[in-house]
Amino acid sequence: MKKIKHKSWKVICITAIILAIVTFTPLVIPYSQSRPMLGNLPYTLWMGILIYIILVILTFIGTRVYPDNDKSTDS
Amino acid sequence: MSTWFIIFGVIYIIILAFIGLRSWQRTKSAEDYILGGSRLGTLIGMMTFAATLFSTFTLMGMPDFFRTHGIGAWIFLAISDAAMFFFILWFGYHLRKRAREGSYQGVAGLMSNLYKTKWAGYVYFVGVFLFLVPYVAIQIRGIAIFLNAVFPEALPAWGWSTLIVVLMLSYSEIGGLRAIIYNDVIQGTILLLVLWVIAIGCVQSFGSVSNLFAEVKAFNPELLSVPGPQGLLTTQFLFASFLAIVLIPVTQPQVTTRLVIMRSNKTLHSMAVGLGIFAFLVLLPTIAIGLYGALNYTGNTSSEFLSGVLLYEQLDWIAAIVIIGLLAAATSTADSQIFALGSELRSMLKVKEEHKMKYTRFTILFFAVAALVFSVLSSDQLVLLARVSFAGTSILAPLILSGIFHKKQPPVWILPFTALGVGLFILSLTGIIPSTYSGIRLEILILFTLFSLMALSFFRKK
Repeated sequence: MKKIKHKSWKVICITAIILAIVTFTPLVIPYSQSRPMLGNLPYTLWMGILIYIILVILTFIGTRVYPDNDKSTDS
Repeated sequence: MSTWFIIFGVIYIIILAFIGLRSWQRTKSAEDYILGGSRLGTLIGMMTFAATLFSTFTLMGMPDFFRTHGIGAWIFLAISDAAMFFFILWFGYHLRKRAREGSYQGVAGLMSNLYKTKWAGYVYFVGVFLFLVPYVAIQIRGIAIFLNAVFPEALPAWGWSTLIVVLMLSYSEIGGLRAIIYNDVIQGTILLLVLWVIAIGCVQSFGSVSNLFAEVKAFNPELLSVPGPQGLLTTQFLFASFLAIVLIPVTQPQVTTRLVIMRSNKTLHSMAVGLGIFAFLVLLPTIAIGLYGALNYTGNTSSEFLSGVLLYEQLDWIAAIVIIGLLAAATSTADSQIFALGSELRSMLKVKEEHKMKYTRFTILFFAVAALVFSVLSSDQLVLLARVSFAGTSILAPLILSGIFHKKQPPVWILPFTALGVGLFILSLTGIIPSTYSGIRLEILILFTLFSLMALSFFRKK
């Protein structure tokens, strides 16, 4: 169980880091480009909102699989 | 509006007085006063963290940033915040583990203990002092200028600044961190409600969100892409800001302390998720308000735009709540930072238990006066000055991370390098040395060097 948690946490971390890096590439912030639009929402904005939501979902999954949470550092 | 402002103002002051008094009654020890009981639940933890993070910078700065620089502002703040909340899961756990090993009084004290030299605490403290006092000052100044523009007859800007500082000191000196946390909860609630009421009004004036964006596209398509009409939001600017913001929980003591005083790791982790949702709800309406401003307040000053959209276009009672919300935002961010500076300084001093509270109160008063003086002298660029503060404190991150993650004593040689990094960044801000080298921003170079040194120290240990 602990091994699975460690592995899942690693996968979640790597996904979050890749997502953060991709945000600063032309894939998400193309220079002076607002297309393709989604319901008149410019590309960078709707992609940014999507990435935000994915990061929050990853944070939520992270709370479930965080490997050291069983150990007590609670007050 | 004045009548409503007086009514809501009196209610707000009564609530603050009640909070201060109640917190004072519940404060049993100096630790209670400094760390607010150290048992924050998810909801209170989330609200106080959010209120410390989202201040006048969000209510006034972000709509104006969207108005001026377009939708790239979402990448600037929202993505950085979301990454920061994820980072809290990992960093918060390890920070709490370290804090539990000794008696946590503040980050400066913790660093002195971990590095086994007081110099670690001094370098950290000087760094946060240099960059936090100006940040506190711009919070106060931002609101003071705004209130002066709305009520020119009532008080000059410095008078409003003084009033805000006195208001802030009145409850934080009496009730300590607990009082500050309860004020944060009030501020967070007002902030969220006010932003949505105003944003809905802005969208309704165009019929729909889609129409609003169509109008913006017809008016100035550069607002819908990066780097924006003024070319500010370049990839490098956004990435440097991202690093500075993600590292806030490491480098800003008012935020770090909130991670330590959560009830358990479970509540800390739930808080991180809650923050993700709360921040989304707070930042989303600022897009609509900002783009509405881009269309209706073209060529107006920031102050004209903000007073128009936040006050004059609103019903009187809503405008009055906005002003109270702004006062609450300014006080709740400033008090957290000033209180943190006071606690940090005291955490390095060897003080007898019975004198701890007195010392903390005195240091808070000292930093409040310093922030007030600086607020009278500082510039009006809210968001950009806030960013400088985040970037400046982020230089301290390798020092703190080294302290926390080295199992034995961390390498002390990282201290002079950190001090040098802070010094160089300040020299670049004053224009004495250039702020870019071969097209790369100095703060990125400094961070890269310090993180490389930190990585090297771990590698050498292995």
